[in-house]
Amino acid sequence: MDHFERQLAQMMRDTEAPAPFEPKHRERLWAGVRVRSRRRAAQRAVGSVLAIVGLSVGLFLLPGRTTPVEPSHPGPQPATSPSPSASPATPDASLSAPPSSDTSTAPAAPDGNATIMPPPSTSAPPSGTATARN
Amino acid sequence: MEQSRARAFDEFVAARWSALLHLARLLVGGDRHRAEDLLQESLVKLWFVWPKVADEAPEPYVRKVMMRAAARSGQRRWWGERPVEQLPEAAVVGDVSADVVERSRLEAALAQLSPKQRVAVVLRYYQDLPEGQVAEALGCPVGTARSHAARGVAQLRQLLGHVNEPVQ
Repeated sequence: MDHFERQLAQMMRDTEAPAPFEPKHRERLWAGVRVRSRRRAAQRAVGSVLAIVGLSVGLFLLPGRTTPVEPSHPGPQPATSPSPSASPATPDASLSAPPSSDTSTAPAAPDGNATIMPPPSTSAPPSGTATARN
Repeated sequence: MEQSRARAFDEFVAARWSALLHLARLLVGGDRHRAEDLLQESLVKLWFVWPKVADEAPEPYVRKVMMRAAARSGQRRWWGERPVEQLPEAAVVGDVSADVVERSRLEAALAQLSPKQRVAVVLRYYQDLPEGQVAEALGCPVGTARSHAARGVAQLRQLLGHVNEPVQ
């Protein structure tokens, strides 16, 4: 620290003027404290409201919240498997079934008995026709 | 509880007002109104942390808040200088003592510096802070703080040339 710097430091200290803390300073200071208190309270209130709104929106938008939890329906049956309700198990039922294109063309048995046809399905082999020939 | 807290705070402010205001005036370059604004803002901040710092070091806390605010003052619009047609404080004839003249010259010279240079000079030479703490207050590396102080002192050396002469 050279001479000028020492002088500068001394000058800064020596130039301090006495300044009493007057009532107007006190009033202004407490007014500033009140203003800042109100601002902090308002910020806290706004923050709380925003937090509640955000939480509510988040809960509302949670995935699956509105979907009722119920047992799921049984899965669809395979199209090729015979359904007990749809396909008749007894030969009598086949007699009353409407004739399909295969059965209508099949010739009747020589003995007059009706030919037992398998239930109509797409993958069933046309064994009924072969049987009719026998 | 609140009453005793307010009373202790009031006593502290009343006791340290003069010294803190002088520091504020040096930090802002002599403008009394700006200095009071700076000090009041810092004291309001102190009030909200008073329970934490009252028993330890309330004055260093205020000083640190003032230093940081003063260092940032160049970036704040509301502290920008506004030209006016008439000077708000006219010099009173006959009230020109040697101390007042000296203080006015010092403050006018400090006002010529940039905010960071001014804060660096005040902290370094008035507060006797080491370079590390000056850098911390300015929020910059130590080398930058040293540079601010050196440039500020160099400019003050030109503006206040007469104090460079040895005192007889």
